[in-house]
Amino acid sequence: MAAEPIVVIRELTKSYLQGDLNVTALNGVSLDIQPGEFVVLMGPSGSGKSTLLHIIAGIDRPTSGSAMIQGINIANLNESQLADWRNQNVGFVFQSFNLIPVLTAAENVELPLLLTDLSSAERRKQVATALELVGLADRGHHRPDQMSGGQQQRVAIARALVTDPALIVADEPTGNLDAKSAGDVLAILQSLSRDAGKTVIMVTHDPKSAAYGSRSLHLEKGEITA
Amino acid sequence: MTIASFVVKNALRNRRRALLTVISVAISCGLLVTLLTLQRELTIPPESEAASLRIIARNKVSLAQPLPSKQLSIIEKIPGVVAVSPFTYFGGNFREETVTSFAQFAVDPVRFKNLIVEGRIADGNYDDFIADRTSCFVGADTMKRYGLKIGDRMRFSGTFYPVDLDLKIAAVFQGTVDDRGVFFHHKLLDELMGNPGTVGTWYIRVASAEISNDVIAKVNDAFANTSAEVRAETERAFQMGFISMLGNVKLLIGSVSTVVVFTLMLVTVSTMSMAVRERFRELAVLKALGFRRRELFSFILAESFGLALVGGALGIFGAWALWTGIDLQKLTNGFLLYFEVTPRIMATGGVVAVFLGIFSSISPSIAVARLSVVQGLKTLD
Ligand SMILES: Nc1ncnc2c1ncn2[C@@H]1O[C@H](COP(=O)(O)OP(=O)(O)OP(=O)(O)O)[C@@H](O)[C@H]1O
Ligand SMILES: [Mg+2]
Repeated sequence: MAAEPIVVIRELTKSYLQGDLNVTALNGVSLDIQPGEFVVLMGPSGSGKSTLLHIIAGIDRPTSGSAMIQGINIANLNESQLADWRNQNVGFVFQSFNLIPVLTAAENVELPLLLTDLSSAERRKQVATALELVGLADRGHHRPDQMSGGQQQRVAIARALVTDPALIVADEPTGNLDAKSAGDVLAILQSLSRDAGKTVIMVTHDPKSAAYGSRSLHLEKGEITA
Repeated sequence: MTIASFVVKNALRNRRRALLTVISVAISCGLLVTLLTLQRELTIPPESEAASLRIIARNKVSLAQPLPSKQLSIIEKIPGVVAVSPFTYFGGNFREETVTSFAQFAVDPVRFKNLIVEGRIADGNYDDFIADRTSCFVGADTMKRYGLKIGDRMRFSGTFYPVDLDLKIAAVFQGTVDDRGVFFHHKLLDELMGNPGTVGTWYIRVASAEISNDVIAKVNDAFANTSAEVRAETERAFQMGFISMLGNVKLLIGSVSTVVVFTLMLVTVSTMSMAVRERFRELAVLKALGFRRRELFSFILAESFGLALVGGALGIFGAWALWTGIDLQKLTNGFLLYFEVTPRIMATGGVVAVFLGIFSSISPSIAVARLSVVQGLKTLD
């Protein structure tokens, strides 16, 4: 691998204080991810998959260790720098879609662009491109409750990629979907990494989903085992 | 889509709640404006400057007991007294009315002229009133209300006095605190009653406000230990005594207003925190997408501000339209005269609404500031 790794993680730990008990969610994780990889995180419930994903995506902070993304140690960014950084560099896909119910599909996709300097015409163009990429070009004016789960998750993917981020993180994106819709979503994520060169990190419980990835990592009790 | 349309969509997402918030703010602001207007209304009369120069002397026993006419020459000679006139409440009913909301007083027209200093003659000629023993001097509000003009006759049936009056309008006054009264010749009443030699009260004007207490004491002293002892007091005190049943009106209205404003706050604050709490997950998502606290604060502020302002505007202008549009004077039989919703009162209501908008966004903003994305994402919808 010639390129610089996009994600460099060293000795990352995260622990929570639950009452008097110290719960260790991540225990000295080190990891490199290359640009364009489709990394699948697997492991039993409570093994720290989501925690790792949240730290890489800049919505949670480690207790110790470092997470360098594109050469930036995100632990050094303050709240609002981190917010800007997320807006420009990370796309989020959640298990439960998390679309805003009062907005149409196109408006949901447009949301992260409201923070940019783009004109409304430019925003519209990017929204259209993103919706087309997920095969929902004709659904822009539908509200979430007028769409199936699979369609909603594809809208969420469009929202994640509309700002053209280098990194897309997805926490159990197919957890609420039937097999057919799950296949559609996974194929899109796969093509994002393979064809568009995005780095995709996905958490899943399903070995069949894991097959779409280019690399699988196994977490157990906060440590990478394979 | 713009940030503004996003805020509007958010504010209206739960239409019923938005509507209820707007309505409760509107009702409370309307009520507040009404209370402030009432408070102003009830405290206007004592604020007339000319009134503080006037003294009313009545029988010490009760207002209903008459005083002997011969007291006039004694009062007249008291130092500091500039003018004095008999002032007898007739209390008749106009035309076929069962309750007449304006008072009629029997006065001495020549002497009375020196008592009403703040008004002006709006129509007719005061000398005509002096000249004609069966004429009367009428307030502009009453003229307008009954569509009367100079030369018309006003008939009153006595309730207190067993006689009726038939008066010709000679002149009209305007610019006093209460432009409703009808004044007629005391001589006419004396004649009709068979010259009993009595008056209801004495209306006295003093040279300056500083000496009015002194004059009051002298008037009281002058008739001490006579068969008709008097009780003199300033017109202000007399009127306040009249509305003494309203007691601590100002305090009462003040505390009711405070309760209204406080309730209003509770309603809006709880609505806003409800609106934010049920949106925690979405706010966490927005944070993940790169929205900063500052932006989320402004969404919340804009939303609560918008709801409070729409409600406030509806309530304030609604109250204004209501109290301007209906004839309260008629409806309350003259108890409420002007009931004017002044710009100042409306501005007070507006300030309360603005304050409310800001205040109700404080606790949700704190909650959002504390909200971590990870925690927010874990909350179930
Ligand atoms: N806010 C928190 N407070 C205390 N403990 C926490 C908190 N968040 C996570 N944990 C603990 O950290 C550990 C890892 O949690 P994490 O959510 O990363 O697991 P996961 O692998 O994503 O599990 P799942 O497959 O069920 O989603 C768990 O033991 C969990 O109880
Ligand atoms: Mg998880």
